[in-house]
Amino acid sequence: MQHFFSRLLISLAYRLRSSQSYQKRRRFFYNLLENDNYKYKKYFDFFMIFLIFVSVFVLIREVHHHVNDALMFVNNYVISFIFLVEYLLRLWVNGSVTKIIIEQDEHDAMLGREFQLKKALSKIVKMKLSYMAQPKAIVDLLAIMPFFHELRLLRLFVLFRVFKLFRYTKSFTGLVSVLASKKFEFFTLFLFTSIVIFVSSVLIYVIEGNNPNSNIQNFFSAIYWSVVTLSTVGFGDITPVSEEGRFVTIFIIISGVGVLSFFTSLIVSAFNERLDEFKEAKTIENIAKLKRFYLICGYSSIAKEVIKEYKFRNKAIVVIDSDFGRVEEAKKEGVTALHLKPGSMESYERLHVDFKKQVHVVLCLQQDDVENVYTALTIRSLDKHVRILSLLMNDINRKKLQFAGVNDIIYPQELIGMITKELVGQPVAFEAIHALRSENSSVKIDEIIITEAMAQNYPYVGDLGNKRFRIVLLGVYKKRGERFWFNPIDSTLLEAGDILLVIGYMPFIKEFEKHLMSRDEHAK
Amino acid sequence: MQNKKRALIFGSNKYAIEIANSVQSIYDIEFFVTDEKEEIEFSGRYVKNIFDLSDDWYNVEKFEDTENTIVFCVLDEEAENVFLAISLRSNFKDLVLVAIAANKESVSKLKMAGVNKVIPIEQTTAEIISDIIHNPIASKVLHGILYEKSDLKLAQIEVENAEMFDGEFPADIDWSRYQGVVVLSIMHKDLTTEFIYSSKAKRTPLKNGDMIIVVGYEADIAEFEKQIGRRKYVNWSDWSW
Repeated sequence: MQHFFSRLLISLAYRLRSSQSYQKRRRFFYNLLENDNYKYKKYFDFFMIFLIFVSVFVLIREVHHHVNDALMFVNNYVISFIFLVEYLLRLWVNGSVTKIIIEQDEHDAMLGREFQLKKALSKIVKMKLSYMAQPKAIVDLLAIMPFFHELRLLRLFVLFRVFKLFRYTKSFTGLVSVLASKKFEFFTLFLFTSIVIFVSSVLIYVIEGNNPNSNIQNFFSAIYWSVVTLSTVGFGDITPVSEEGRFVTIFIIISGVGVLSFFTSLIVSAFNERLDEFKEAKTIENIAKLKRFYLICGYSSIAKEVIKEYKFRNKAIVVIDSDFGRVEEAKKEGVTALHLKPGSMESYERLHVDFKKQVHVVLCLQQDDVENVYTALTIRSLDKHVRILSLLMNDINRKKLQFAGVNDIIYPQELIGMITKELVGQPVAFEAIHALRSENSSVKIDEIIITEAMAQNYPYVGDLGNKRFRIVLLGVYKKRGERFWFNPIDSTLLEAGDILLVIGYMPFIKEFEKHLMSRDEHAK
Repeated sequence: MQNKKRALIFGSNKYAIEIANSVQSIYDIEFFVTDEKEEIEFSGRYVKNIFDLSDDWYNVEKFEDTENTIVFCVLDEEAENVFLAISLRSNFKDLVLVAIAANKESVSKLKMAGVNKVIPIEQTTAEIISDIIHNPIASKVLHGILYEKSDLKLAQIEVENAEMFDGEFPADIDWSRYQGVVVLSIMHKDLTTEFIYSSKAKRTPLKNGDMIIVVGYEADIAEFEKQIGRRKYVNWSDWSW
């Protein structure tokens, strides 16, 4: 019987592991419940927070008013049921049962023995219990309790639903981790406070316990008085009546001020120490939301100039640099920058960057060929297709950059040489062309990609009407044949994917582009 | 046979070498370095002079022929480069000075020091990076026209037969009748340059002496030249920024 059950379990585990639909569902629920980077998780969290507030509203309303039966039903059964389903789903997605069974089976097969069912089950139970023992899971379980609302006491378990709020608020998780970083200091403070409370409670009880005018007639009152006084709240419902009692009060008040100051400074210092970490986490979160961006590795002086150009074009940029000072400088300039090593794989794992979907171009702009080659190799190993542009500081390293998979290499020295040659040869023409490249010039050279619709509406160059928009058509880059046709004749055929190279004032170019896209206007 | 013009390059860094390699076909190159021991790549091919910025180092003869001499200030230290430019300008009013600068701050200082043309390294590199990414085709075409052996050429043609336009404004002229060339801009006698479709080009008729900047194939440019005027090689001393 046990053998049959074991075989059944193993075959089910293998089937589930190879079942795409099962894995897809499991991944979906895992993302929905546990993955903060999953885009639909926030909607789920908002929904759960809404349910919690409904529960709390019902609890408060119930104190003095009759609550609508339908609402009570929703509170006691529907919401509880949703929480129950959520709890079971979390239990399911936290830790893989199939993985344990398969691993156990493979392990036993390797050792040439029978499948150890008990061992596998014990591992499964242990794994699930370790999840269930987590504070968050306990709160989840207690939040389901109002389901058994007939037991009056269990109604108070609604309050555990409020604690569930912490699960859906990331900032609370941050707070807990901040406080956890000062565990030792808080423990010391707790010990000190406990000793002060204990000593002062004993003292005040011994001194005032037998005094008929005193309110402290039992030890609990003494502890209560100590806590109220130490916290500097001082309700005044219990006050010492003897000289000795007042002396103890002075001692406890002074200790209280110290305890509070220490407590406050602990929290402040913990937050200060972790502030950069929080800011970085927030920046990474914001980067994950970007649809497309330019990744700049190294905040060099050339990178600063490039960023100026990109900002002009309203493009999203992310800078990573291994130098803390440069990162801070970039942040001051309003650039999204992170203190990460551009050549390290870990940096991109921390960024959660999806090169294929998010990164338009990677620019290796460190003024060091070694760093640029290393960075290019790292990025190329993460994504085969992302476009990489790199600076080259010394021509002997050109081949190394090409070998590392860099698509475009910029060698400033060579550029300056070429520019100088043209500059001294044809200064006026050079200036005319250079002006087109400059961001300060109002006249621009731009590219317009011919779409299917444009090609249908304007099949020939002569149909474009660029002169009406005061635009010079320098030429057409034909997708077919990948050739540039300078100053094409009017009968040149335009096809989807061709690129028009136009020169003109930017607003006119935009108007011209709009005109090309507008089918109706052409029809008129 | 006419003597080649002279290019005097101050500095021996990689930029200086690259400039020397680029202009050696047009100019005779002479280097000026501060230290006798300074190695210059291909030093056998170039003349090497020693100078000391703090000293009275001018060999006046070398700088006298301002018509045929161009000076490149390519020292590593920005301050020294500015000092060099001021020293040269204060002694030789008409000398053509070209300098490279790391950033915008140095550009303005070098311009104030009297340099005719300053090439900002970082800004220029950034512009080209930006172009390669955003307008790759345009960048390739312009790069080909400007720097590489492309069939397309840029030319500046001086107008000599303005009467043939009969007072027409540049923006209204049907340039398509001059097959093969694309007219980009007009440079007037007062050295102001206007895009062919600018407001000014719509109001100011072409006059003899104006310069037209065109792009085209060599043969088409030659044909255009025949009809409009002649190709003009601008003298550096006429040119100011």
